[in-house]
Amino acid sequence: MRRTVTCAALCVVLSATLLGGCASQPDEDAPDSYRIGAVLSLSGPQAGLGEPERRAIELEVERINDAGGVHGRPVEVLFEDDATDEAKAVTAASRLIEQENVIALIAASGTGQTMAVRQEVERAGIPQMSLAGGSVVTAELSPWVFQTPWPNRIVVPFTLAYLRDAGVMRLGLLIDSGAYGKDGYDVITANVEQYGIEIVADEQFNRGDTDMTSQITKIRAANPDALLLWAAGAEAATVLKNNAALGGDSPLQVYGGPGNGRIELLEGAGDAAEGFTFSAGKILIPEAYGVGSEGYEVTTDFIDRFTERYGVGPDIFAGHAYDGIHLIVDAMKRLPEDFTPEDLRDEIEKTSGFVGAGGTFTFSPTDHNGLSEDDLTMYRVEDGVWVLAGEAR
Amino acid sequence: MGTTELLQFALAGLKNGSIYALVALGFTLVYAATGAINFAQGEFYMLGGMLSVWAYANLGLPLPLAGLVGVISTAIIGGVFELLAIRPRKDGDPLAIIIITVGGSMLLSSMARHQFGPTERSLPLFSGGGSINIFGAVLEVQTIWILGITGVAVVGLWYLYNRTGLGRAMRACAVDRDAARIVGIDTRKMVTVSFVLAATLGALAGMAVTPLTQTAFDVGPTVGIKGFAAAILGGLGNPIAAVVGGLVLGMLESMSIAFISSTYKDAIALIVLLGVLFVRPQGIMGRSKREKV
Repeated sequence: MRRTVTCAALCVVLSATLLGGCASQPDEDAPDSYRIGAVLSLSGPQAGLGEPERRAIELEVERINDAGGVHGRPVEVLFEDDATDEAKAVTAASRLIEQENVIALIAASGTGQTMAVRQEVERAGIPQMSLAGGSVVTAELSPWVFQTPWPNRIVVPFTLAYLRDAGVMRLGLLIDSGAYGKDGYDVITANVEQYGIEIVADEQFNRGDTDMTSQITKIRAANPDALLLWAAGAEAATVLKNNAALGGDSPLQVYGGPGNGRIELLEGAGDAAEGFTFSAGKILIPEAYGVGSEGYEVTTDFIDRFTERYGVGPDIFAGHAYDGIHLIVDAMKRLPEDFTPEDLRDEIEKTSGFVGAGGTFTFSPTDHNGLSEDDLTMYRVEDGVWVLAGEAR
Repeated sequence: MGTTELLQFALAGLKNGSIYALVALGFTLVYAATGAINFAQGEFYMLGGMLSVWAYANLGLPLPLAGLVGVISTAIIGGVFELLAIRPRKDGDPLAIIIITVGGSMLLSSMARHQFGPTERSLPLFSGGGSINIFGAVLEVQTIWILGITGVAVVGLWYLYNRTGLGRAMRACAVDRDAARIVGIDTRKMVTVSFVLAATLGALAGMAVTPLTQTAFDVGPTVGIKGFAAAILGGLGNPIAAVVGGLVLGMLESMSIAFISSTYKDAIALIVLLGVLFVRPQGIMGRSKREKV
């Protein structure tokens, strides 16, 4: 109690200093390093994504440099915080490009910021590696932009196929009104028909809503076989709790996507999460790759080192950042020592069979995501932890 | 649509409405004392939940005590905020105070992010899970807690305002600050008290809601806007009006979902708000400016 007060008083005084601490300093002693910029959401609503991403990148860059860097030169990553703001992302990107002469950009945590910096990287002619899952990032193909997460256009069909196998024919849809939910909504509505599924109710909620009872009541009134929740934020836990309370003995079976593979969801929803089934990459349970396979080795190695360093396991976002930095560095290693950003872009595009934490990447001039449905699996929450759901019953 | 479902929509509206009402009460108290809108009100809501989680998870206190620590710490932060940021502005210009509270809001949420991290945190339900069945509609036990806390807060405020010297002094201050000062009321103290009370009410809401929704450093602004709208809708400066405004707003949202679409629920609520203000600029229960204590 006293600590709270003292701390609060201290913080009031010190906050100005604290708040200004995010800009990165260029390292004057290492002019020969390869410089890569990273624009991440280290504050604002998507700070929960940006923070693990930054941690993963720092961890991996350190390991790459300890192993001798690239062509004997160290790799240096300069971080900028976009505060989950598109305009700030653009400013940060142009600063990294103009003043720091970065050869590639890891940007950004969110779909909005990723799209916002596109014009900057296209003008400068450097490759951009996006950590955001919106389909639009690589559906609206730019030769310069690559994407590491599984976009909705891969995840949604995979999830719908599972729903079909589970016997779901009448589907209730609940999405968040943000960019991720909207993107998912478009892909879902465009695909349901070919899986023989009918959407009988579709409702939305906004970020920060405190209760979704009304939406679920309306969905239940349409008598669906299951509820598909497409949302990445904290509200997912509230949805599960409201659904459990409304359902009593017969709650709706809820399905979800990769945005729900978060430990906070399990903590927040508690018992209400039991039976919740969602699609995501295999990083949550590397055994899904098959014990002993390359994917399993790569992922467990990353998980072990991350956990040792930070005391918590990496989430899927840390995995996306791991893939992002390694895809760039891997291409750099394949090039001769003196390469231009354009060479780097060409080389990243030639990546084939690269095994990362999120799956096996094979880029092509028309596919800048490089993942497939084989990189996904279904999880079900049982006894407070997620387990592999296996085949649909 | 069946009666059961209609009742369910009404209960959902009541639940959200009582959350908005608690936040709206905070707006109304500060407005009464200063004539300004406190845009840090949503952050008090956030801090109430966050500090309760902190006391529960980090200090290992039992849940009731952790909730108490959360609310009292937030009340103290509210008072300290007033003393450090509002009081130095001696002329009490409402516009300046509004800007100060906007800054305060950013400060408090940034501090919370530094202190507690960016991800959401959770608190257990006060009396376990479960829900009760009312004619087929479901009411979560935690919702009864929220309704109860709102009820107790309203009764407590009514008592304070009508039965205590401090409350009378606050009301006098609300009607005419200069006159209140002339009869010997310490108006500055009243402002501090109003911030402490506003922080307490916001924190109570945040603490009671966190077991259902979890909390994070950035939950303040959304709830703040809803509470503000509720306060305006009911009529600023009047505690009963704030509660009415909150319940009406919650019910409006829920009924918009029931009869129109969840896509437009906020838009519909705001259109009704504008409509009401067009007919009654002082709010549903607001009275015109002149009033006697």
